[in-house]
Amino acid sequence: MRTKGALSMPRMIPMKKLKDTTNLYTLKKRMLSLILLCVLLWAGAACAEDDAAAITSLEDLKGKRIGVQTGTTFDKIVLDALPDVKISFYNTNPDLAVALKTNKIDGFPGDEPVIRLMMAEEGGITILEERLDHFEYGIAISKTEAGEKLLAEINEWLASIRGSGELDQLVRKWTDGPESEKTVPDYASFPAPNGVLNMATEAAYAPMNYYRGNELVGLDIDLAARFCEARGYGLNVLPMLFDGILPALQSGKADIGMSGITITEERKESVYFSDPYYTGGTVIAVLKKAAGTEQTGGSGPLQGENGEGAGGQTEPQMNSIQDSFYKTFIREDRWKLFVSGVLTTLLITVLSILFGTALGFGVYMTCRNGNMAANGITRFCMWLVQGMPVVVLLMILYYIIFGSVAISGIYVAVIGFTLTFGTAVFGLLKMGVGTIDRGQYEAAYALGYTNRRTFFRIILPQAIPHILPAYKGEIVSLIKATAIVGYIAVQDLTKIGDIVRSRTYEAFFPLIAVTIIYFILEGMLAFLIGKIQIRMNPKKRKPESILKGVKTHD
Amino acid sequence: MIKIENLMKAYSNNHQSILKDVSVEINDGDVIAVIGPSGTGKSTLLRCINLLEKPTEGHIWIDGTEITDPGCDLGKVRQKMGMVFQSFNLFGHLTVIENIMLAPMDLLGKSRQDAYDEGMRLLRMVGLAEKALNYPDELSGGQKQRIAIARTLAMDPEIILLDEPTSALDPTMVGEVQAVIRDLAKTGKTLMIVTHEMNFARAISNRVFFMDEGGIYEDGTPEQIFDHPQKENTRRFIRKLKVLEFRIDSKDYDFLATAGEIDKYCYKNQISWKTAHRIRLAFEELVQQILVPVLAQPDIKTMIEYSEEEESAVMTVRYNGPAFDATQNGDELPLKLLESAVSEMCYTRDENAKRPNQAVLKIRTA
Repeated sequence: MRTKGALSMPRMIPMKKLKDTTNLYTLKKRMLSLILLCVLLWAGAACAEDDAAAITSLEDLKGKRIGVQTGTTFDKIVLDALPDVKISFYNTNPDLAVALKTNKIDGFPGDEPVIRLMMAEEGGITILEERLDHFEYGIAISKTEAGEKLLAEINEWLASIRGSGELDQLVRKWTDGPESEKTVPDYASFPAPNGVLNMATEAAYAPMNYYRGNELVGLDIDLAARFCEARGYGLNVLPMLFDGILPALQSGKADIGMSGITITEERKESVYFSDPYYTGGTVIAVLKKAAGTEQTGGSGPLQGENGEGAGGQTEPQMNSIQDSFYKTFIREDRWKLFVSGVLTTLLITVLSILFGTALGFGVYMTCRNGNMAANGITRFCMWLVQGMPVVVLLMILYYIIFGSVAISGIYVAVIGFTLTFGTAVFGLLKMGVGTIDRGQYEAAYALGYTNRRTFFRIILPQAIPHILPAYKGEIVSLIKATAIVGYIAVQDLTKIGDIVRSRTYEAFFPLIAVTIIYFILEGMLAFLIGKIQIRMNPKKRKPESILKGVKTHD
Repeated sequence: MIKIENLMKAYSNNHQSILKDVSVEINDGDVIAVIGPSGTGKSTLLRCINLLEKPTEGHIWIDGTEITDPGCDLGKVRQKMGMVFQSFNLFGHLTVIENIMLAPMDLLGKSRQDAYDEGMRLLRMVGLAEKALNYPDELSGGQKQRIAIARTLAMDPEIILLDEPTSALDPTMVGEVQAVIRDLAKTGKTLMIVTHEMNFARAISNRVFFMDEGGIYEDGTPEQIFDHPQKENTRRFIRKLKVLEFRIDSKDYDFLATAGEIDKYCYKNQISWKTAHRIRLAFEELVQQILVPVLAQPDIKTMIEYSEEEESAVMTVRYNGPAFDATQNGDELPLKLLESAVSEMCYTRDENAKRPNQAVLKIRTA
């Protein structure tokens, strides 16, 4: 009997979603595109259900498609064991789970404890009995003189807790224990006589590192905190994408990296590794249906995953919108994460708009009169900024230009987007002012206006109504463009969505929730600009305001 | 008083200079009409005076202030010098009354109320008070130009430069704008107006500049310029003459090519078929049949002038050699044919000219 348990869920989203949200948000146009999105997702999910023969062993995976998280060593491990599979790369584990469910891939490798936790959270996934290999996690340390000392210190400490049996106990707590026992020391309050250690981690790799509510927990965090406590360090955790961790260590942004990092010879070339603190095996996750696993009973789709829960997971899994909503927003107060994500996104966007507009305007004013040097420099900078994907620009700023400065990713993001938005504003001004007829300048000059005053009194007021519609478009693009700041360790709305997905393994709900929030933000900013647009258009003034303060009859 | 000395203006993209060495003085209260064929620098001269065009060389003084001096406060000078443009150039984002109020408030420090009162007075003067709260794009061309004149007057300038103020207008609207300018000419302000309307120019001006060959070609009173032009190009322009000139300097010149030139000239100026035939015939008989065979070293300059208004053509032939009346001395046949093409002929000799013999032939019409 083929189960439809988890797969029926995505198809239910579109219908119910509409009812839930239409009365909340009356932005009909946005809803229309949302419906389209839902239909597409539904279609994707529906397709995923049908084909695919059962995969029950590594043998069955021959020639199939395997998804791998970027920056990990799994691709090599998979290819060693299964040389003829097709590898594709994804950014996070939740992405892999979604890809699996939507039949983009046939299986993906992962560390056993991580995948087991995923199985518990989100049904429909199971693991193959065979292990690909065994591996060891180590603490990555930046290859500096200070790092060398730190390495010795860490190894010494690891040996001591291994000897006392504390390490085993901690590993068991995080991989097998009930959720209520999974706590970490309050590292924020450590006195730090020996300085503060910056630790890079992915924060989306339960049970090694993940968000529970607003709190960052996991074996990696627990170990780091205990080490710091024992050796008199403070601890500052920097969440970032996994493939940003090693660059962060090399550039000095972080002192240590703990994120379930497998020790390899290649990685040793760029960082130091401590002695291993965890030994595990690589498993392959496949669809439960594909693995041919029998359902636990004749239960309907709503209770399909009942009893699968592990690691203290006791809530019944109702695959319904309410349940998805509960998991995504209510459980562990995750809405607080979303609020902070929205605030971060808004902060970056609004600051970038303000600074970018000022920058674009300032540069335009310098270049306006055709100063050769200013124009040359501007052209070069614009060519540089516009020619680069924004994500690359951000990473260059974060890891290279500000590589040795302790600066929050948020400020780097603001700087990056200020640059890109500034070039856009510069272009808009050039375009808008260019539409103004030469005769307007001449008329003003002939009356006796100076060049500068002509620009502000005559030219700019006429150019602004031309510019604002495109400016509005740039702002909407900017909000969307900020979704990439996760690359430089900023937890914006998109990143929060990923973090929540990494905990719930909900395939669709967080994505759609994030989409809706973006639409709302865009709507709000566009509304605001629309208001300004009316105010800034001289022709939309009321007749009585034109002659304010003038007695009109003689 | 405006004083221009050795003004030269060349555009950097083509090396030909549009104004070569212009020097002139303009007295207070002069109303000057600037006329001339297109492309002779009329507008350029006007725009150099308030430095909308930067002269390549030369000096300009306005009331003793040298505006071509880099240290000059150009804004102050321009405030005393209004300009009216062919394309109106009203500020599109402001209402009519604001267009007029803006500069007095911004630059002269007038209060809103004063600027408004003066603005309304000027609007009444140009007959557009009821349009005070309209935007420029809601007005006709003639109305726009009257507003533009009111805007210029709001700064109370001593000099007003008008650059083809009626050229962009519908013929039905030319009158209303000309009426306003006519009134302006009586106020005693110095006016300089570039125009193609000869009758209008003659009616309002007390001095006319005819511009050609890169400068003020002839400068005089309207009577002198329009009724008794002293110089050749002025005469042609005033009488709207179409001219063809060519020179023959060899017995073996290309006769067919020259005849083709004449055909092309006649065709271009829409000279009637019959007249064109007579012009060609006159040339052929007089020059080809009579003159070229007799002259040992021919140096013949032929000029054909056609007046569109009178539909009449005159051919003037100047040639070298001893006294020889080509209109009387020749073979019988060419003379007969010549007579059929020409209504009047006369021969004169001027010993001092480069080509002392001159025959003027009036081509027979109708």
